[in-house]
Amino acid sequence: MFDRHLLKNFDYQLFLLVLLICAYGLLVLSSATRGVAGDDPFFYVRKQAIWIAIGFGLMLLVVSINYLQFYRVSWYLYAANLVFLGAVLFVGKEGVGAYRWIDLKFFDFQPSELAKIIIIITLARLLADIEEEKPKNLAVMFPFLIHVFIPMLLIFLQPDLGTALVFIALLFGMLYMAGFPWKNLLALAGAGLAVSPLLWLRLHDYQKLRLLVFLNPDLDPLRYGYQLKQSMIAIGSGGLVGKGLYQGSQARLQFLPAQHTDFIFSVLGEECGFVGALVLLVLYFFLIYRILKIGSLSKDHFGAFICVGVATMILFQVLVNVGMVLSIMPVTGLPLPFMSYGGNSLLLNMLSIGLVLNVGIRRHKIQF
Amino acid sequence: MDKKMLQRTRIFIYLVIVIFIVLLLRLAFLQVYRYEYYWARAEKNRLRILPITAPRGEIFARDGEQLVTNRPGFTVSLVDLGQGYNENTITYLSRLLAMDEAEIWQKIDSQFYRRYLPVRLKTDVSMETVSKIAERRLEYPGVLIEVQPIRNYVHGKFLAHVLGYMGEGVVPPWVEEHWEETGYEYQQGEPVGQAGLELAWEPLLRGEDGGIQVEVNSTGQAIGEFERVEPKPGHDLYLTIDASLQLVVEEALNETVEDLMAGNNRYAGEAAAVVLDPRCGAILAMADTPVYNPNTFSEDFPILEQDPHRPLVNKVIEEHYPVGSTFKMVTAMAALQEGAITKEGRVFCGGTITRYNATKSCFRGTVHGSLNILQALQRSCNIFFYEMGLRVGVDTLAHYCREFGFGSPVGLTDIFGEKKGIVASREFKRNLYQEAWYPAETMDAAIGQSFHSITPLQLANYTAMVANGGIHYRPYLVEKVVDCEGNLVMVAEPEVLHKMEVEQAHWETIQQGMSLVTTPGGTGARMADFPVKVAAKTGTAQVVGRDGSIPAHSLFVAYAPFEEPEIALAVFIKHGEDWRGSTSLPVARKILEAYFQIPTD
Repeated sequence: MFDRHLLKNFDYQLFLLVLLICAYGLLVLSSATRGVAGDDPFFYVRKQAIWIAIGFGLMLLVVSINYLQFYRVSWYLYAANLVFLGAVLFVGKEGVGAYRWIDLKFFDFQPSELAKIIIIITLARLLADIEEEKPKNLAVMFPFLIHVFIPMLLIFLQPDLGTALVFIALLFGMLYMAGFPWKNLLALAGAGLAVSPLLWLRLHDYQKLRLLVFLNPDLDPLRYGYQLKQSMIAIGSGGLVGKGLYQGSQARLQFLPAQHTDFIFSVLGEECGFVGALVLLVLYFFLIYRILKIGSLSKDHFGAFICVGVATMILFQVLVNVGMVLSIMPVTGLPLPFMSYGGNSLLLNMLSIGLVLNVGIRRHKIQF
Repeated sequence: MDKKMLQRTRIFIYLVIVIFIVLLLRLAFLQVYRYEYYWARAEKNRLRILPITAPRGEIFARDGEQLVTNRPGFTVSLVDLGQGYNENTITYLSRLLAMDEAEIWQKIDSQFYRRYLPVRLKTDVSMETVSKIAERRLEYPGVLIEVQPIRNYVHGKFLAHVLGYMGEGVVPPWVEEHWEETGYEYQQGEPVGQAGLELAWEPLLRGEDGGIQVEVNSTGQAIGEFERVEPKPGHDLYLTIDASLQLVVEEALNETVEDLMAGNNRYAGEAAAVVLDPRCGAILAMADTPVYNPNTFSEDFPILEQDPHRPLVNKVIEEHYPVGSTFKMVTAMAALQEGAITKEGRVFCGGTITRYNATKSCFRGTVHGSLNILQALQRSCNIFFYEMGLRVGVDTLAHYCREFGFGSPVGLTDIFGEKKGIVASREFKRNLYQEAWYPAETMDAAIGQSFHSITPLQLANYTAMVANGGIHYRPYLVEKVVDCEGNLVMVAEPEVLHKMEVEQAHWETIQQGMSLVTTPGGTGARMADFPVKVAAKTGTAQVVGRDGSIPAHSLFVAYAPFEEPEIALAVFIKHGEDWRGSTSLPVARKILEAYFQIPTD
């Protein structure tokens, strides 16, 4: 099944970029978590390193299966996805006021992370199946909307607003690339804005507070407001070159309750400064660029759409996470890809990159 | 890839570039342009959060008497000023607060994730300690004195088992699960209700903590207040308990038990009593002895735990006892409803009865002669009820027990821990001894002996059911809940849990029999001079001891006024029937006197 000739098209640049970001993440993580776990100062680093290793294994596994196989089983994936997301609402494990995890004993499985890649694959198939001329027609959009809204609703019910928003980004990114006219997309966005007040009413008070607190941290001075202020102090005090790794005073005091997960970027900003943050953002830029590049070389639309989906997902998460830490975006609790501590998000991102690499190595129709 | 897609990919990349430039501009703004400002703030970053504990809801009796409130107390806390914790400070505090250094470090460690919050070391310290710390403030930076509300049980031991107490311990796992289901979050290590109303009503009593975001100076003193979030006080509870009646009940029980113990009754020491409103199930008084003092619970715990009379157990609901002849209305109802006897039907009591090779005698060998059911209740004739028991059989008897609420909790949910007690039945005996039921045992069961075991609350509820004609109301303690602004949050509604389907005339017969108990010739004749007509039943529950000389339990149930019952009560004095006769009757009399405001002679 796996042809050695395929390796010729393996995108080493993309692979290397992921490796670099992961290594960078481990370094910052080791600073963010020092002393937290008591006796073992490397408790989190070790666990994250194991996830990274497993993630690379998974990535290579995905690369070895022809991505067209995913096209074939896409409906089964979609069904399984709904089952997982439904199950989590019933047997889910609670954490921070939401039901997001299913306890698999060795691993707290978070179906909403897996849902992202499944929606990318299945939506890519749906889009690849329509004929060239069709996108012009406004009614053609509806199946795609329903396709995305069902899992999104289930995630919204957990409640996990941040992840639900990723789906909206995916929908727009992929519909756009499929050639839907601008005016159709704008109409869709307009309709979305029109129903958003209804959505607002369905939000829990703490969710509303999180969405608004970046506009005025004093709305919630004891929790998110405090967190944001401390995050800004951390980043701002980092200056051009930072205080040096392990030297951040904000990080040492554990001012940021989620500094190894959602707020890892503020530790980076404090200790490595503007230069350190710039390096990371440049790495992300090239990562997204390579993914889009591979997509543009794909032999079929299905592969191209997968790449666009993955690029959209990573771009959106970087924007929302860094924007949150810099206090220009609402607090939604999305992890920073390959940087934030946590097995689910890491494995999902690795899987996504695996798919992109897969599209890349099988870009020619005939291989010798 | 077609041309159009390539073009769109290019636009996508431009979008990515724009987004990254925005992020970088924001970064540059914070890290370059505003660097000095943030650097200075980080340098003296002593932005801390000082939590303000919400005052817990207060508890009042039905007449407005304040039972539980909060008083200000001083708490010593330690705050990290950015350099970690100073060894000298810890040593100093360990001496001053009489705590192990290890204990202090453990408290610090347990708050590792939230180091910007002060670590609370000891609550409710003395004014002397506070002034000592204040004097040496500069020497030991980071030591903080906070004012926190401390729970205050205004009348000490009064109503203790109903009110419960506070502790930093854990709550029973099933309570925790229940709270999780209802979405109530509680923080381990924080003070939490440990028993009684404090535990069962924890989610409503506890308010929402507030806090101040402050900047502290190098000695840990707050300089300039920033943002303040006011705590939300918990809801207040107004109880169905009548404080003055409760006081009478408690004093009567305590005096009785003290008298018994002083009179060389080495078995005595526990007692319980409940007063209910038979029209709705509201509990007017609920007392037992001995109890703890919730104000000093943790200090007293080692002694309380050792006490043979178990002050930790609420004997009204968590303990069940044999109830003797107070049981006889069950047998009476079974016999009447099943047609085993009519109101006029008579049985001859010759002092003894022999059936199934067992000879049983009437109480203290009395010979009652021929009597009907009214007289049998009035004089508590055992022979009559043995006969009734045999006529209806044990299974029917057990059925009527359950109809009257025995064998399962009667439904009090305002405090937890109600026991179900035991109904004597074939199944119970089979499960216990793997033995079949002997017909002769039915006789014992019919007069409240055998395996029957009933909580004082069940006994009072059953009396109320006789009084109101078979309606089982859910007993309740909380009349209404009011929030801190005086808005009504909840008002209790009487809830019918069960209604017995029996002939109305039979209720009247049994009620009439009970009313005869307090007339001359009845077992409660000492109540004959009582100005209000009282229906009652006495009980003497024999306890089998090795030497046979253990005093029986003394029981008394009653309701009044006979025509329009307003209260139903049950009094239980453990081993209270010694040579002096019934000790439960005088307690019941005092309760009735207090309720009907009859001057004592």
